[in-house]
Amino acid sequence: MTATENPPIVTPVPARPAVARRHRRPGVAALPYLLLAPATLTLLVLLGWPVLSVLLTSFRRLDLRELVQGKVVWVGLDNYRAVLGDPTFWTVTLRTLAFTAACVIATVVGGLAVAVLMRHVGRAVRTVLQVSLVLAWAMPFLAATTVFQWMFDQNYGILDKTLVRLGLTSFAGHSWFTTGFSTLAVIVTLITWQGIPFVAFTLFAGMLGVPAEQYEAAAIDGASGWQTFRAVTWPAVRPLVTLVTFLSLLWDFKVFPQVWAMREGGPDGGSTTLAVLQYVKGIAGSHFGVAAAVAVLMILVLVGLTAQNLRLMLRAQEYR
Amino acid sequence: MSKKITISVVALLVAVVFAFPTYWMVATALKPSQLLLSSGYDLVPTAVTGRHFADAVAKPNFLTYVRNSLVVTLGAVLCALVAGLLAAVPLARLRFRGRRGFLLLLLVAQMAPFEALLIPMYLMMRDLDLLNRLPSLVLVYFATTLPFTAWTLRGFILGLPADLEEAAMVDGCGRWGAFRRVTLPLLGPGLVATSVFGFITAWNEFLYALVFMQDENRFTLPVWLSSFQSVFGTDWGGTMAASTLFTVPVLIFFLVVQRNLVSGMTAGAVKG
Repeated sequence: MTATENPPIVTPVPARPAVARRHRRPGVAALPYLLLAPATLTLLVLLGWPVLSVLLTSFRRLDLRELVQGKVVWVGLDNYRAVLGDPTFWTVTLRTLAFTAACVIATVVGGLAVAVLMRHVGRAVRTVLQVSLVLAWAMPFLAATTVFQWMFDQNYGILDKTLVRLGLTSFAGHSWFTTGFSTLAVIVTLITWQGIPFVAFTLFAGMLGVPAEQYEAAAIDGASGWQTFRAVTWPAVRPLVTLVTFLSLLWDFKVFPQVWAMREGGPDGGSTTLAVLQYVKGIAGSHFGVAAAVAVLMILVLVGLTAQNLRLMLRAQEYR
Repeated sequence: MSKKITISVVALLVAVVFAFPTYWMVATALKPSQLLLSSGYDLVPTAVTGRHFADAVAKPNFLTYVRNSLVVTLGAVLCALVAGLLAAVPLARLRFRGRRGFLLLLLVAQMAPFEALLIPMYLMMRDLDLLNRLPSLVLVYFATTLPFTAWTLRGFILGLPADLEEAAMVDGCGRWGAFRRVTLPLLGPGLVATSVFGFITAWNEFLYALVFMQDENRFTLPVWLSSFQSVFGTDWGGTMAASTLFTVPVLIFFLVVQRNLVSGMTAGAVKG
């Protein structure tokens, strides 16, 4: 190895932007902090303080009386004892977890399937598919919920009518909202329907990044569709699958509008999730301390569910 | 070849499933009432009427709800854009002590479960005497959309070459002049995309609007729509017309940003 073969490569390293170096005058040093002040202040007041406050409130008795009189009554862990000692809370928590799992699994698996479908169809069909996905994605939650209520309507809903037409006559006048389970199933359908487009587009974008040669190589080797998916597509989209699973968890666990607007947590509390419970205890029942305890427990469960991802994400993002 | 056709047919069926609720909403809104509450089976309206739209618009306070929704949404988006842009510039362009801490704050704030902060927010707005007043919603939506806005705008600024600004400064522009004449115009698409996402978030928000607003004339569109059964009874035509009117702005905005849909949603999460 001679020196001529390997000339030293001098890479210019723009470690710091030149603009930063130019300003060493006092006053300019304060510039970044001045610019960041409005955003930081907003987040401290409207996010930092509420986080602290929800924790403090959860240790207080704060019903309508205390609220009106402005009294501060510390009760230690009483609220937590009340919440954790209430069997309803455990039912609701388990229900929320099952509900979240159903939403997340259906959304991610469905989204992956739709993404694969997008990759395999021609341009025209793909455009049709993408437009209809955007239609589902764009519909505001409340509009979507009312449409689903109408489609699942007992008397004139299109679903029951269609099922009867298909020969399932027992569905004539069938009500989908008589049990909590059935109501939640409708809500899961709604959330999955609205959630799939984002997942599908994200994973499809990831699949576009796979070099075509890899698919050609797989085809030459005689790989079946499933084998190609396992060996080529899946490794490429796996990080994205983790990401959309994490995001779906974050969104679906605390979802409120669709659950509340569908049947207000009914029938008889049968479709109540933790987000609804917080609302019912706190706002409808005016037990703000108890509701705060529910909120804190909600945050803890959510952090527990996403801890792995949170750690990875913070580690990856911090340095840049 | 037949496999290709099968896949296309499946894809089209999936497309129908996803488009159907939107189609059904519009089709119902256009059908005359007597066709809606009947046992007939008509997937395509056999007659069309604009009555339901006229009814929905003529409902008491409808225009007030539209105005309320617009005020809180645009107010929040505007605040988030200004504060977000101010924060994005130093985070993208300047080196200073604590920069990483600020980035971390944004990242964590972006994932904060605002729904779980309902009680302290309620108590705070009560103390500030803002309950039942639109500014309370502006503040909450501002806080909800700010982290995302700042983070995404920072990403857009990082995407612009710093050399451009430096060149302008060499040519005699001040720091502010260089930013205003060079970076800001290039940032146009980023500002549009982030504000659209902010708009959609705030336009959709239901929980806080439901809790904070007590008087009917302070309702936003989602709250009004959730009470449709008392407003419309079994008037599904009117309900669907109202839902359609509520959906249209979002649909338009989705079309505006379609290119950035995915990158925007994952901007904070995939990479910086």
